[in-house]
Amino acid sequence: MADFSLIAQALDQGDRDKTVALTEAALGSGANPQEIIAQGLQAGMAAVGEKFSSGEYFLPDMLMAARAMKAALEVLAPALEQTGIPTIGKVVIGTVEGDMHDIGKNVVATFLSGNGFEVFDLGLNVPAQKFIDEVKEKKADILGMSALLTTTMPVMGRVIKGLEEAGLRSSVKVVVGGAPVTQDYANYIGADGYAHDGGRAVPVCRELIGK
Amino acid sequence: MNAKTNGEKPDLTPRRRFLANLMGGRKGKRISASNPTSVACVELIEKVGVHFPEAHTDARAMAELAAAGYEVLGFDTIMPEFSVQQEAAALGCEVNWGNDNMMPETMTHPVKSPGDVVIPDNLLEKPSIKVVLDAISLLRHEYGDRVAILGKVMGPWTICYHTVGVEDFLILVRLDPDQVRAYLEAYMPVTIAIANAQLRAGADAVVLPDHATGAMVSAGTYAEFLVPVHHRMLAQIGGPTILHICGKCLDRIPDIATEGYDGYHFEWQNDPKKAVEAAGGQVSLLGGISNIEALLQGTPDDVHRQARYNIEAGVDSIGPECAISLQTPLENLKAIIAAAEEGY
Repeated sequence: MADFSLIAQALDQGDRDKTVALTEAALGSGANPQEIIAQGLQAGMAAVGEKFSSGEYFLPDMLMAARAMKAALEVLAPALEQTGIPTIGKVVIGTVEGDMHDIGKNVVATFLSGNGFEVFDLGLNVPAQKFIDEVKEKKADILGMSALLTTTMPVMGRVIKGLEEAGLRSSVKVVVGGAPVTQDYANYIGADGYAHDGGRAVPVCRELIGK
Repeated sequence: MNAKTNGEKPDLTPRRRFLANLMGGRKGKRISASNPTSVACVELIEKVGVHFPEAHTDARAMAELAAAGYEVLGFDTIMPEFSVQQEAAALGCEVNWGNDNMMPETMTHPVKSPGDVVIPDNLLEKPSIKVVLDAISLLRHEYGDRVAILGKVMGPWTICYHTVGVEDFLILVRLDPDQVRAYLEAYMPVTIAIANAQLRAGADAVVLPDHATGAMVSAGTYAEFLVPVHHRMLAQIGGPTILHICGKCLDRIPDIATEGYDGYHFEWQNDPKKAVEAAGGQVSLLGGISNIEALLQGTPDDVHRQARYNIEAGVDSIGPECAISLQTPLENLKAIIAAAEEGY
């Protein structure tokens, strides 16, 4: 019987090689890949997220953990294809137009993928219309937008207005984040949710769709 | 009390007012209002008729838009550099210079190892560096008798974000600290050379953004990697120097205060009272007014409230905390000056 807590621990330490080795070993011993994710990887990421939010961890630690998570998910991908991947919701995510900062957004996308969300990552410098088109096409439950500059934050408000004009606003929850973004600003532009940091993104998205 | 002056404080020119505040000197009638980072916004751009990207790439356009910070808004300083990408462009990154609604961005990160770092012999002649030097010279000629002219040069940590890429660089803090040190060592001469060239061109002081912010790295990382580098750089930069780091930094202000900077440009999210306490009089504090809550979303009254809070806290020179949002209303910026004019 695999000890999933060791996987969580390796991920918490940002040790990619160890996380991958333990994931492979667990899979080899017959463990269910979904259990490996839930009790190993997600548990590890939750710990990392909490430590980031509390100020114990910083961005390099988050990046190390996200890297380990990504590598472990790649190990699990073939097995997950066989068992099917249950998803709890669809998220379209991206960094707004004019903004080339995607680290936080990438970390959040990895966290969400590892927590059962189907993630459509549009990358960075995403035009407003692209967000709107993708929300419609993918029938997204959540739209996540990131802005790292005070100069690009207002673009998030323009996307929300665009969703309203396209008649899509009521069908999708909008979550915003990024270093200069605040809860006040999220309220000001009419977003549904605000994640103060990458560590909070998963619980916020879960709450918004009631999962 | 001196009978001749009735104890009244002298009314200093903007330049003297700012420099006195920056260097911890005598106080005049009122605090200076300064902009160590950009105060260009769409309303100002339209008023002056000088647009982006020309104001990033043409010295005369750059100087004209920058001067509006003094002419139209009434700041005591003129800051001609609106972007943070000038060094990146000179060091081989592809830069999109943007437009009135988008600030410039680095599109490529060509450096993969410290061995890839090449500093061009003609660094100061590179267009993105020379344009700032020329704009400073123009401003010195036109305004040097009354307004403080500021230069700006990125520190080695920020240069790495652009040339190496933020993610690839930051992860090295955990994976390979020696490589981080090697990068900083390699880029330090770039910062020193440009800072001194700007001082020679006529800048009264240089602003040195080095974004090791609290949202990204710990105070321990700051102390380990940045403090020794900043100490050495400052021994070689020949004029007043202002550090700019956005975000939460209260935990590292005690370190910043001992590095040898004359000023530290800080954000509102560090409570100004606590920031003044942490600085302990060893470095002047500038900025302190929230770009989002007050300047973008707030009213002139909100700005006034924050400005007065900063003054009462003992901040040395008030202004926006960072490069302002392009949609910032002019009346909110003018409220900073109005608050300063009320005196101490």
